[in-house]
Amino acid sequence: MSKHLLKFNVNGKDYALIVQSHERLLDILRDKLGLKGVKEGCGTGDCGICAVLMDGKLVNSCLVFAIQARNKKITTIEGVGTPEELHPIQRAFMKWNASQCGYCIPAMILATKNLLDRNPNPTDDDIKWAISGILCRCTGYLKIFEAVKTAVAEIKEAH
Amino acid sequence: MRRFDMYVPENQTDLLQYLDKHEAGVQLVANGTDLINRIQRRQVHPKTLVDLTGLVELSYVKKENGMFRIGAMTTISEIFRSPLFDLKYEAFREVARKFGGPSIVNVATVGGNVCSASSSEDLLPLLLVLDAEVRLRSIRGERVMRVEDFVKGKRVIDLNPNEIMVETMFREIDQDSRCAFEKVGMRNSLITAFVNCAVYLKHSKKTKQVEDIRIAFNRVNGKIPGRARRTEEKIRGHRLNEKCLSEAMSTLRDELQLSSDFRASQEYRMEVACSLFKRALARCVEELAGEKILV
Repeated sequence: MSKHLLKFNVNGKDYALIVQSHERLLDILRDKLGLKGVKEGCGTGDCGICAVLMDGKLVNSCLVFAIQARNKKITTIEGVGTPEELHPIQRAFMKWNASQCGYCIPAMILATKNLLDRNPNPTDDDIKWAISGILCRCTGYLKIFEAVKTAVAEIKEAH
Repeated sequence: MRRFDMYVPENQTDLLQYLDKHEAGVQLVANGTDLINRIQRRQVHPKTLVDLTGLVELSYVKKENGMFRIGAMTTISEIFRSPLFDLKYEAFREVARKFGGPSIVNVATVGGNVCSASSSEDLLPLLLVLDAEVRLRSIRGERVMRVEDFVKGKRVIDLNPNEIMVETMFREIDQDSRCAFEKVGMRNSLITAFVNCAVYLKHSKKTKQVEDIRIAFNRVNGKIPGRARRTEEKIRGHRLNEKCLSEAMSTLRDELQLSSDFRASQEYRMEVACSLFKRALARCVEELAGEKILV
């Protein structure tokens, strides 16, 4: 089976890896790069839990072949904020206690980032749409929704 | 996942040359939202995948000489953002809104939607009612055919093994025309439609008659997407009144051969299909004449 040289950038760091044809971006991020913030949920593109940013766009990493990420810039939750200085979205999620089991939260935060990077003044409907591809089975979404609104306000204030 | 080879072409010429030499067991893959699942479910067993994601030149929405042209690698979110689709083409944005969540519309491509040709594709009915064509290219040349002829059945398309789909194109619609798209699925995001419906209507203000109408569903016969031509005939050339509509509705019930599956029963699908058609038609009329008709 064919192997490929995959050159890409993950969270600001360049990598060159040998990957196999059938490997998914999700497999590489978790198993080769140890980025366990990327979770696998359904593995079929229904739950959105494995979402990462590829060239700034939200994608399901379970539906991307690793080699298709060549020359791309990937951001996972590990690339958003630092433990010392959390991203405003992360602070807002903490403030609202928007995370319960936490499994969907990396994807929720990246989906929020995907929205706010493009649209700093989202409407309520924009927010609902932005997180609509990601399933959360704990929170009922309300706290997540409120957290996103708080993040919007905080980011605006900071500018 | 099942093992297979992946060929990553350097450019389009390299791709077309490769396809010309290798026929058996080669499967094209764009952004893979549909194919990866089908491989995992063992519904397809490709020996070699050919990656199309490098063909960035096939990602565009253009309007030239009264024709819209959408490149095969254009994603659904690029359609959503295209300023070329003004209010007259709100149906495209409606497709994008109901297509799936951001992580799907960011990658799902027009070419993938047309070439997958399954009953769950949302873009196909809209392209069918716009009488769209597809341009196919091989190293030996190009050919153009209507989407309706290109999609021959569920997951059956008229694409030769050495060809790729380059773009889809359709004529701009005039001031007296509108199109609309409606869909019902289990939830709003990331979901396969129970039924979806697209309608194109050309309505003359002078005669108050329907000059032309095209109606398409993701399923007209079992799981095959297509047009509801007999229903169209009942409306074309008539005034849109209650009598005309009720005749059209009973023809539609007769014409649609729907089936049951784990998503929905045949009876439920029929009710939804009829409602969606009425809603789509009402939307076209409303936008054209500012009047409401039976919904």
